[in-house]
Amino acid sequence: MPERPERDIRRGRKGRKKVCTFCVDRAEFIDYKDVAKLRRFISERGKILPRRVTGTCARHQRELTVAIKRARHLALLPYTSD
Amino acid sequence: MAEGKNLYETVIVTSAKLGEEGSAALVERFKNLIAEHGTVQNVDDWGKRRFAYPIEKQTEGYYTLISFESGPEFTAELDRRYQITDGIMRTLIVKRDPRHLVKPQQRAPKAEEAGIDVEAIAAEAVEETAE
Repeated sequence: MPERPERDIRRGRKGRKKVCTFCVDRAEFIDYKDVAKLRRFISERGKILPRRVTGTCARHQRELTVAIKRARHLALLPYTSD
Repeated sequence: MAEGKNLYETVIVTSAKLGEEGSAALVERFKNLIAEHGTVQNVDDWGKRRFAYPIEKQTEGYYTLISFESGPEFTAELDRRYQITDGIMRTLIVKRDPRHLVKPQQRAPKAEEAGIDVEAIAAEAVEETAE
């Protein structure tokens, strides 16, 4: 398959390929207890960042949402913040 | 691993109102309950932590993580006991995948080596969507 061109050629933006951090780390599972790490994947308002923003792969994004929701339940992470 | 046994971990969040001893006593009770139905493998006391949002108008609580092994029918009973016990604010029972057991520690340092700056990427992408 030909390599996909970097994004936004139309606007002349220099693309940067995003890589899934969990794949890079070879993370075996995403831990709901690792608050510091999970925090990087939520917005200031506490929302879970989409894959298009963080570059997380589909598989890890699925695991990540579960981990974040568990952490929220335990009040380790906010559901929302104002 | 014994037949029909699973690995679980459970987090108990107890009210800060109980104080250190009260909370420790409560956790001790559950430790004994778990020991009756399975084996307690590890107890990790996180101490007092601030909540990310107020629960029952309180802002902090004591967190304890207990890893244990038991049959699958015990989790329902454990959860039932959690629900009827006063002073417990939040609980979580999760089944652990035995394949993931060995190396939670090894993962940590690799993140920095890889040098992928998630925040920078995220910031860039946010910028992008904002346009």
